[in-house]
Amino acid sequence: MLINILNGLVYGGLLYILAVGLVLIFGLRRVVNFAHGSLFMVGGYVAFAVAAYGGFWLALVVSVAVLAVLGVVLDRLVFRPLQHEDPIATVLVTFGLLLVLEDVVKTIWGKDFLSMPTPTALAGTVTIAGEIFPVYRLMVILVAVLVAAGLTLWLRASRIGLYVRASSVDPVTTGMQGVDTDRVSAVVVAIGAGLAGLSGTIAAPLMALSPSMGSFILIDSFIVVVVGGLGSFSGAFLAALLIGQVHNFGVVYIPWASSMIPFLLMVGVLIWRPTGFAGGRA
Amino acid sequence: MIAPGWAIEGVGLTRRFGGFAALDGVSIAVPPGEIRGLIGPNGAGKSTLMDVLSGRAQSWSGTVRLGGVDISRLTAVERRRAGLARSFQRTNIFPDLGIGEQIRLAAATAERDNSEEVMAELGLAALADRRAADVSYGDQRRLDLALALVGRPRVLLLDEPAAGLSMSESLTLAGILRDLAGRWGVTVLLVEHDMDVIFSICSRVTVLHLGKILADGTPDEIRRVPEVVTAYLGSTVE
Amino acid sequence: MTSASVPAAAAARRPAGRGYGFVAGLVAVAAIGSALPLLVGSALFLTLMTQAAINAILATGVGFLVRQNGSVSFGHAAFFGIAAYVVALTLKHAVMPAELAAIIAILLPTVLAFALGLVIVRIVGVAFSMLTLAVAQALYELLLKWRELANGDDGMAIAFPARVFGVDMATFQQPHSMFLICWLILMAVILGLWLLARSRFGTLTLAIRENEERARFIGYTTVVPRALIYAVSAAVAALGGLLFVLYNGFVSPGTLHWSLSGEALIMAIIGGPRLVWGPALGAVIFFFIKNAAGDFTDHWPAVIGTVLILVTVLMPRGVGGMLVRLAGRVGGRRSS
Ligand SMILES: Nc1ncnc2c1ncn2[C@@H]1O[C@H](COP(=O)(O)OP(=O)(O)OP(=O)(O)O)[C@@H](O)[C@H]1O
Ligand SMILES: [Mg+2]
Repeated sequence: MLINILNGLVYGGLLYILAVGLVLIFGLRRVVNFAHGSLFMVGGYVAFAVAAYGGFWLALVVSVAVLAVLGVVLDRLVFRPLQHEDPIATVLVTFGLLLVLEDVVKTIWGKDFLSMPTPTALAGTVTIAGEIFPVYRLMVILVAVLVAAGLTLWLRASRIGLYVRASSVDPVTTGMQGVDTDRVSAVVVAIGAGLAGLSGTIAAPLMALSPSMGSFILIDSFIVVVVGGLGSFSGAFLAALLIGQVHNFGVVYIPWASSMIPFLLMVGVLIWRPTGFAGGRA
Repeated sequence: MIAPGWAIEGVGLTRRFGGFAALDGVSIAVPPGEIRGLIGPNGAGKSTLMDVLSGRAQSWSGTVRLGGVDISRLTAVERRRAGLARSFQRTNIFPDLGIGEQIRLAAATAERDNSEEVMAELGLAALADRRAADVSYGDQRRLDLALALVGRPRVLLLDEPAAGLSMSESLTLAGILRDLAGRWGVTVLLVEHDMDVIFSICSRVTVLHLGKILADGTPDEIRRVPEVVTAYLGSTVE
Repeated sequence: MTSASVPAAAAARRPAGRGYGFVAGLVAVAAIGSALPLLVGSALFLTLMTQAAINAILATGVGFLVRQNGSVSFGHAAFFGIAAYVVALTLKHAVMPAELAAIIAILLPTVLAFALGLVIVRIVGVAFSMLTLAVAQALYELLLKWRELANGDDGMAIAFPARVFGVDMATFQQPHSMFLICWLILMAVILGLWLLARSRFGTLTLAIRENEERARFIGYTTVVPRALIYAVSAAVAALGGLLFVLYNGFVSPGTLHWSLSGEALIMAIIGGPRLVWGPALGAVIFFFIKNAAGDFTDHWPAVIGTVLILVTVLMPRGVGGMLVRLAGRVGGRRSS
């Protein structure tokens, strides 16, 4: 039972790191990046490639850095030029990007599943309440907690963070305060994309790498973002915890219907509260 | 046809934004057939009062009655269907629809379709086939008014229908309004910054200040209340 | 709606001439398409065209939702796939005649969409897109993993009776005849949706799309009309799924996958979803690009992803919108 909860936390943690990137970008730009799952996937593959030469830790750093740069490019070439269009235009363009990125990865690394070894330093197991649990998975939970804490500090203490928080609540008034929006946006999208790279990297030893690995986690992170209340950081945190548990519970006890549970949960939340957990505030 | 007593009545209306009361226990009552002016400086709570009466406000307290019937719990849709219509301070139309098209759509919820008549009265008939986004600002303001006026509602809440119009356009509009309200027996609550408009067509005026009623009376009485002069007429007239 | 004074309402919303022009054009396109099996002998070509016509129906459903509700669905394959599975499962367990199964195959997704619509149409913009994707993928995985129900990834072959609706099954399964059927149904769907779009209800939903708040303040509730549009567009998608299963005699979870939803959406965007016939045009263009891609078919997703990006950025009203604009300029008429 405890092991199941921990596994739920692992998945919830991965989801949180991915989803919070979506929330960041949404908060600032009011758009949803449909290619976010692909960034996760690309992060996994970049880490895979680097790990073969320089080991896991270097892979982690390189993957996050590469994805952050990719984020800046994405902001420059997609989000910024489309900022005055209907947000749906950005959705469509990033959807097109998703198709292209999957194809590129498939061309470079092939369609077959690849697996990335667990870093040796974290390869062991610990016994928790009489049950065995991999150290690596504990590390994933820890990383998610650190990301949440780091982001919270950043959002409360830094200038850009304050701006992002204000903007996610009220984009119109914030937009008029004479901050260099383009610079803020580049930073924010870089962080969001870098987090997707982080999530993809730490997920890589846990799941088989395939070009389509981004799609399913994208959908779960969408559920997280919507259930949490679009644009809400704390909502996304709670929702990721919840969806992680529910997902894992489903996989263990009713595998054939496991995909329906997060979905039904989402519909339930939306009936109860059409704007998600954090909806009352907006 | 109209129930005796007040056509539209708000009792103890309060609406808060955080700790700040935009509307603080306001009571207002307008008898059938009257054109009531509602004035007050920027931020006085005039639009908020319109929102509460028309069912746009989310959380508020007090009672709203239409023709003596409590409509506090009705939604905006139900209030419109009960005969309470409104226009908006910021032009609120359907930009991509034809002008005639959207007026007829608005008329279809009423018992009687008088869309042709309304279009003719407001000078929109020639524009009936044009897209709303393609016509001038003044025409869009009159379209906003037409969407409220069509179907002959019992009570009309008009939030600065002449905002942004030239002086002569405003006075023309006021004339049309007085004429139609008189002919159709519509009760009007009119928010307007232009005192010429207010004093030319309103039989009574209510002054709102900081969420409370400051004064209430005929135009001549209002002009003589010192607080009104200092709080409003003297200073913030736009 | 209190439908007041019908004659005034019937005074058409657009000059009547355009209406006749549209119907005449549609009849001409229907006739040209119908002549195709006579002109082209290649069974392979007709097979592809039949698939294109079926996908065009799905895309038309997706596009109608964009047109009337302003909502972009990434999950319409779900309704397509449910229809296909309803036929497969009811025939497998022999619970009802094929004709009834075909009707239920349309009705069930329609009703589901309406019920779901009551919840999700209140969520506008990008969040709606995210939700539709999530809904469809949940169903996809259900069919993938619940092997006892529908054989999982392997899919199911369907044993149709010899005749359905009094028509020899072979008629549905040979490209020559099936292309004709699908093409004419596509035209009928476009005509039906066009009439719906011109009706008072069509105007109302456009008004809600334009300005939901004002629609309420002129006395219309806004959730039910939007849920109805969602249901109509789901019904059209389900019709596509029904034709698909009649033609192929086989169904697999792939019929619900987001890649099919995405393809249909891309067709709609290419053709121009603001026009009732735009998505069908987009489907035909999509089909020709795919043919022309030839050597690149290995990289088809990248090709079509690039096309989607280019169309969205350079031609936001789609090819159809551009054609209308050109025609307007040539004919000196107002395009809309
Ligand atoms: N959504 C809101 N959130 C917070 N405060 C609000 C909101 N809407 C209005 N207010 C505040 O309530 C007060 C009354 O606003 P209201 O719009 O009713 O004024 P008004 O009398 O219509 O002014 P104007 O003449 O400028 O139209 C103002 O101080 C305004 O800032
Ligand atoms: Mg106001």
